[in-house]
Amino acid sequence: MEMKKKNGMQALIYVLLILGMVIVILPMLYMVSTSLKPNGALYEYPPQFFPKLHEITLENYKYILSQRKFLGNFLNSIAVSVCTVAISAAVSSALAFCIARFRFPGRRALFAFIILTMIIPGTTMIVPQYELAVKLKTINSIWGLIPFYVAWVIPYSTFMIKGFVEGVPSELDEATYMDGGNVFTVYVHVIIPLTKPGIASISIFNFLTAWEEFPWANTVINDDLKRTLPIAISGFFGQHQFTQWGYVFALSVLSLIPILIVFISCQKFFVQGLTAGSVKG
Amino acid sequence: MKLKGKSKAQIGLLLLPGLLIFCIFTVYPIIRLFWMSFFKWDFGSFLSQKFIGLENYRSVVTDPYFQTSFVNTIVYTLITVPAQMILGLLVAILINSVKKFKIGFRVAYYLPVITSWVIASLVFKYVFNTEGLLNYFLTNVIHVTGSNIRWLDSRWGGMTVAMLLGIWKGIGWNMVVFLAALQAVPQELYESAALDGAGSWQKFRYVTLPGIKGTVLFALVMLTIGGFNVYTSTKLITDGKPGHDTEVVLTWMYYKAFSTGKFGYSAALSFIIAFILGILAILEFRLMQNKEQQ
Amino acid sequence: MKRDKKIPAIALTAAMCLAAVGCGQSPASSETTASSENSATTEAAGQAATEAAAETTAEAEPAEEVTLNFWHHYSAQSPENETLTNVLIPKFEEENPGITVNAVSHEWADLHDKILISAQSDTLPDVARLDSAWVPEFQKMGILVPLNKEMSDFQDVADGLLESAMTTAQIGGDSYGLALNTNTKILYYNTEAFEKAGLQAPATMDEFVEDCKKLSGTNDAGQQVWGYDEPGLAGWNLCPFIWSMGGSLTNEDQTKATGYLNSKETVAAIQMLADLYQEQAITGWNSGDIPMTDGFGTGRYMMLLEGPWKVSELAGAYPEFKYSTAPVPAGDGGSISVLGGEDIGMFNTANKDAAWKFMKFMTSEYAQEEMAKCGQIPCNKEALESDTVKNADFAPYIEQLKTAKSRPTVASWSEIDSELTASVTSVMNGEQTAQEAMDDLAKKVDALLAE
Repeated sequence: MEMKKKNGMQALIYVLLILGMVIVILPMLYMVSTSLKPNGALYEYPPQFFPKLHEITLENYKYILSQRKFLGNFLNSIAVSVCTVAISAAVSSALAFCIARFRFPGRRALFAFIILTMIIPGTTMIVPQYELAVKLKTINSIWGLIPFYVAWVIPYSTFMIKGFVEGVPSELDEATYMDGGNVFTVYVHVIIPLTKPGIASISIFNFLTAWEEFPWANTVINDDLKRTLPIAISGFFGQHQFTQWGYVFALSVLSLIPILIVFISCQKFFVQGLTAGSVKG
Repeated sequence: MKLKGKSKAQIGLLLLPGLLIFCIFTVYPIIRLFWMSFFKWDFGSFLSQKFIGLENYRSVVTDPYFQTSFVNTIVYTLITVPAQMILGLLVAILINSVKKFKIGFRVAYYLPVITSWVIASLVFKYVFNTEGLLNYFLTNVIHVTGSNIRWLDSRWGGMTVAMLLGIWKGIGWNMVVFLAALQAVPQELYESAALDGAGSWQKFRYVTLPGIKGTVLFALVMLTIGGFNVYTSTKLITDGKPGHDTEVVLTWMYYKAFSTGKFGYSAALSFIIAFILGILAILEFRLMQNKEQQ
Repeated sequence: MKRDKKIPAIALTAAMCLAAVGCGQSPASSETTASSENSATTEAAGQAATEAAAETTAEAEPAEEVTLNFWHHYSAQSPENETLTNVLIPKFEEENPGITVNAVSHEWADLHDKILISAQSDTLPDVARLDSAWVPEFQKMGILVPLNKEMSDFQDVADGLLESAMTTAQIGGDSYGLALNTNTKILYYNTEAFEKAGLQAPATMDEFVEDCKKLSGTNDAGQQVWGYDEPGLAGWNLCPFIWSMGGSLTNEDQTKATGYLNSKETVAAIQMLADLYQEQAITGWNSGDIPMTDGFGTGRYMMLLEGPWKVSELAGAYPEFKYSTAPVPAGDGGSISVLGGEDIGMFNTANKDAAWKFMKFMTSEYAQEEMAKCGQIPCNKEALESDTVKNADFAPYIEQLKTAKSRPTVASWSEIDSELTASVTSVMNGEQTAQEAMDDLAKKVDALLAE
């Protein structure tokens, strides 16, 4: 009796989960299916969720792949995301290490300021940041993106990595100092290896941030070839009220692939990174 | 640990790159923003900016377009934040209680989170098109409405689509955060509650909720910030239309700065938003700390 | 953005030239001439000495490699863009060794914003295709080069182009651009639907209203159809109705809107559209609507007001579809359409020698004829006489152009346009009456005109 009730309950939960999952995934599926339709069928009536079998076509993908500029956009996105991740991992972990371990003057103020900047939406600073990018002559270049992205992710990354550093027993530091190590050796040989999972998880998050960022890149970048993928995707909307949704979604699907690879291969880190700060509290 | 002269220098060196980037690209723009907000700073005053005190702040606060965008943002935040948290928690509890396919479910529910805002917005725009798939489904398949609903053509229709997108995209993040929190609640507490004859609801109310309180507050802070951060979805779905009815504070700020060149106005607007969020976050952090101390 | 207040304006322009060239492609630039107040000297200072010397003849090749940035709003997948990148630019680069053209496509509204942003930052392109409605605004900001003052052969070039189109770039006696293409909108209608309903193309606004009502409703598949589609509510969209019905936006001097923008005739035009919208006879400006080309091509919209580019778009996307064209329906004011068209202008940060060559090339008979093949009406008089143009069925547009008027040529036009859109939107949605909305709007526009 008890067993039966439990099984029934389990079945109900599965049904609910699958139902929810279908609703969540539907828009994604529709995107993929639309990218496989010929452009003429996009305003067909009645609208079809799946393309008719004989209609399925790769023409949208062929078009996207035949355009050299989209390859360039793809490489730009990769370069920007990888640089953002690498630089922010290095500087944030150093900041986190120092704040967690040493009582240097201004430490509290610095940490408070870092927390405060987590709160301010990045987009609100777009005017002075634009002015700054102009002064640094980094407009219309990926160097107008990377340092700004790094600066945006530093607060959250530092906050999270600090949590991981505090989880490393300080006896390990002491032992290294005893052996004649200095601050750098502790950072490189103790802190980095032991907080690697945390840094990795934050890095995935930062990769996603840089990969999908839209308003800033849209403001700073002009040339077709220097655009990142989100800008290239939104660039399909022209002035004559004529949008080739097939191309839009084909490029969208292609741009999702790297992020899927990163996410699925680093799944286990991901969860830790998101929750480290919260669960500890 | 005590700092010796040499290690002080080493710590300084280690801090330097991060501090430098942080100060140049974040701290300086914030100060600059504050400064700009007190000047008449637009294309008409290309050569000399005049100090006008709080005039920009006054024109922001009295601007009916800003008021619209502010109300839209508040409504967006008030609706999407609890909705994401409740649905995310629900999914987390369900996944936590099944034995098989845990990872499969987790990945599926997380997919919207890793889909970029640009892509998600365009998909939603396409689905909610007046002639789109959803309306066809509603009118011709399940017949809940006689004529097509004009989702994107009115203030609250457009905001509804943006909010649905925000919730759709946010469930996964909440699910992951709450899953971790649920796993950290000690199993013994459930067992002893069961011994006391507690039902499912009582277990949830008296064991689960207190156990994940810290996480709830953490999510609340992050999501409130996220709510005020909404930009790409409304920009791409309705672009403020009709009129400027579906602007949110950031799209309105961007429009004033980069379409009309009113930089002083935009700076004041940014600062008002930053200020409000700062107050909100301090309140929420206070709350969080109080809970921790209990 | 933050400029030193003490430098006088002219020297500032000179400094801007230098700054841009310094960080741009031309490596050689000297700071010593920054104080020069003569614009011709400034121009020379911005160039390598050899180039400057060659400038007067404008024939010698530049001494070094130059990359010319050209911004435009031919949409990325359009035939115009194909022609530009695959035919015109290669031809220009072949004729002008040492000059490389980097053409960048922006969305229309984006291009305007990008130029505003770049103006703040020495990152302007050399040359841009400008909606003629933007020219006054950019001129006021002081970023456009007065071509008649700086180019010795300007008059020869200008004489080869349509005078009416050249006036769109004239402000206070100086010319800030070359007319690149001209256009206006005429009525497109679905031939089959009109025949089926036993209707002729509407000749008057009254007939237009009647036809919109008759042609809207549901089609055989049970889908809603509309008599007319208007993809926006900006000046470009509303002016043909306002003007044809005898209304106006401002007085002749473009200094006052009250009494014009809220006149009986203007209000009647807005009210007419609002009534049609309430009866579901017209649509199009909402975010959720079917895009114009698709809606017309699939028989959901029966009429449009559109320009010559629509022909090639429809031929590409809906080759089977049958439509005809007619003049804008006439009201008390006549049949008056809105003058479109683009100018090609150079910014004062440009590499002027190369930029001028490119501008002359784009307005040459050859380039204009190639662009005419994609539906761009030439401004070059010789190209207008060519067989391509004669065979391109531009006649209805050229006829409509005779009465077409241009939108107010004032610096604050973009902002006025945006306010106009917002006000008319509220009328369409029934939040205000046309009279209320236009009264309020006229006050706002008065203030903007006075700025």
